Amino acid sequence: MSARIGVYVCECGPNIKDALDISRVTEAASHVKGVVLAKTFPLLCAKEGRDLIKEDIHTGALTHVVLAACSPKEHEKTFQEALHDAGLNPYLLQMANIREQCAWICKDKKTATEKAISLVRAAVSRIVHHAPLVEEEIECQTDVLVLGAGVAGISAALTLAQSDRNVYLIEKSPCIGGHAALYEDLFPGGTCAACLLEPMLDEVLHHDQIDVLTLSEVTNVLGQWGHFSVQVRKKARFIDEDACIGCRTCIEACPSEAPNEFNQFMDNRKAVYIPYEGALPHVASIDKNACLYFRENACSACKAACPFEAIDFDQQDEARTFHVGAIVVAVGFSLFSPEELNGSASGTTKNIFTALEFERILNSNGPTAGNIQLPDGTLPQRIAFIHCVGSRSEKHHTHCSGICCPYLLKFALMAHHQLPDVAIEQIYTDFCLPGIESQKLLFQARKLPHFTPRQVTSAETLALSTKDHGIKISYNDSQNRPASIVVDMVVMGPAMVGAADAERLSEILHISRDKHRFFKKPDFLEPVSSTRKGIFIAGCCQEPQNVSQSIVQGQAAAGRILQHLVPGRMLPLTTTAAKVDENRCSGCKTCVDICEFGAIEYDNNAKQASVNKMLCQGCGTCAAACPSGAMTADHFTDNGIFSETIGLLEK
Amino acid sequence: MTEFLSTNRFEPSIIGFLCHWCAYECADAVGRSRSQYPANLHIVRVMCSGRVAPHFIMNAFKEGADGVIVMGCPMDSCHYRSGNAQALKRMTLLRSLLPAFGIDTERLQFAWVGAGDTKEFIHRISSMVGALRALGPVGRRAVP
Repeated sequence: MSARIGVYVCECGPNIKDALDISRVTEAASHVKGVVLAKTFPLLCAKEGRDLIKEDIHTGALTHVVLAACSPKEHEKTFQEALHDAGLNPYLLQMANIREQCAWICKDKKTATEKAISLVRAAVSRIVHHAPLVEEEIECQTDVLVLGAGVAGISAALTLAQSDRNVYLIEKSPCIGGHAALYEDLFPGGTCAACLLEPMLDEVLHHDQIDVLTLSEVTNVLGQWGHFSVQVRKKARFIDEDACIGCRTCIEACPSEAPNEFNQFMDNRKAVYIPYEGALPHVASIDKNACLYFRENACSACKAACPFEAIDFDQQDEARTFHVGAIVVAVGFSLFSPEELNGSASGTTKNIFTALEFERILNSNGPTAGNIQLPDGTLPQRIAFIHCVGSRSEKHHTHCSGICCPYLLKFALMAHHQLPDVAIEQIYTDFCLPGIESQKLLFQARKLPHFTPRQVTSAETLALSTKDHGIKISYNDSQNRPASIVVDMVVMGPAMVGAADAERLSEILHISRDKHRFFKKPDFLEPVSSTRKGIFIAGCCQEPQNVSQSIVQGQAAAGRILQHLVPGRMLPLTTTAAKVDENRCSGCKTCVDICEFGAIEYDNNAKQASVNKMLCQGCGTCAAACPSGAMTADHFTDNGIFSETIGLLEK
Repeated sequence: MTEFLSTNRFEPSIIGFLCHWCAYECADAVGRSRSQYPANLHIVRVMCSGRVAPHFIMNAFKEGADGVIVMGCPMDSCHYRSGNAQALKRMTLLRSLLPAFGIDTERLQFAWVGAGDTKEFIHRISSMVGALRALGPVGRRAVP
């Protein structure tokens, strides 16, 4: 059947009508091959206009519709719907933009009219190459896997579970809560961290729809948005989680010790241990590397001591596979290691602390039970809090971590509260205190009796050395003059960087990360999307942020998932996607390498590419690159574009 | 007199391949602001400047285009991440080959404009029209 094309020229009120000779455009259109009907209408996007088109499709048996009107960006969808309502495939439509490209940019009526005729002719030549395209959908899984049980991951898990989704919460350490659970008070208001977190952690552990897997990590991810298959290895705890009540009898019996990672290695814990008081789930676990049973089969003191028979040395690592629709990555951060800075005071490092170490010192469950003291047990007389260590530096990390200024001022306030006579030296380059609350911390600190803010030109000019029994901090002051002070305790705010295992994860998950190990976002309009569709990133694994912002991101990621993965609803595939002609594909993989969305799959046996319509975004870059002409872009075919070009150039 | 000149001067035909997201939106914005620019530009909308294959351009010259311009999102702002960078690579190579076909390199231009870069858009089209007027019509026989 040959094409029966209807052309409609819109007056768009006075917009088009007054700027060009609309009857000439309609007349010219009526003579183009294939056009069976050409009409002018005052306002096609209005109901009357759309009804006219629908009626003509029925009575005139139109096969294609060309609209000479406004920009397709304004009303292509409107008219596609009209076609669909009239039973014509919506892709059998082409718009000639005679308003934005003729009427509005050219005061000369004759020229505008001629250009409009040319645009209509081109649209008619092109449209015969339009194929009807079918919108396809596939079923999806609605369960979600959340990686990392810090505040971001927990808020994602809770938000999802509260909407009846099943969640698998995967945490690599023996307990949940992440970094925030290690803090005493949170800035800006000095809120008690445990009081804030405890109810959240409790809800997660007892929620019927959240399956918490501690000591677990992801080993492989297959599939795509809507259908991921995730392999997880749950390491043996050597403790029966259901039997253990956290009574600590085993810990008292254990003769072996290892550095306590939860206290930033500042003290030791036993080989069988509970990370810290109040850690949830409140059950012990055995560190295989430190346990004497595993070393020489020499000891089973814990087993003998346990009143609940919870010790199980035969427990094995367990491999589990989860089928989920989406993944939330919320694996948190690590800190820039100040040892990487030049001139750190060797020999005195025992009196130099990172922010995380100081958080543990302040914490009532920490190594000093919350007392600020030096490792030899004496009280510090003068503490320096150093800002911007390794951050805002072209040598190390260019970014500002944004949270160090507020927490270092929080430290100053907490130090004064505990030791009213201690001298506080705040060594900063600039105070970064955005938001409505943080600035108050500086106002409060400035009112302290022994608070000295010392501005330096750059943290890079700092050098630490041993001086008598103290630490000498040499720096260039704000006028770039050399200066120095001597203190007996130093607390550093190092740059926040991505989690230590971000590299491994980015390979397993196929998501990009930057040189600071933060996972990348495709653009700022998608603040919780990773570079792979269906994998979301929340919290400090993608950018430094505070507890509250991490919660927002966890909830945002959950929101994005709830928006798309709905029980009983399908996921749409891209309609105007790329397509491979198998007979022409030479298997050169040019398209595979060029696609930014991983949408092209390659069959190694058949030596052929194929397009995954779930991932294809329809840009057509592969079609332009294909050397054998096997790849085509639906709706933007070579023939369609050639014909449009010819139509535009016809004299 | 001016009228006589304007009606008789050479009016080059330019085919513009504009990406849907930034460049086409920019052209729409120019229209919405009722700014004037030469009607010599005839736009073909593509989803991404990365869709523009070299044969689209050679085909346009063959069909009598006096100039071709490829317009996409600014670098680092491609809606499809790197389609514009692909386009830039291809266009740069193709441009260097044009003299072999008797086509002046000036006849193929590319521009990366954000949706709001209306002044840049008008400037690029106007100056291209000026340059093509000076070059005269494309030598059609030269095109394969």
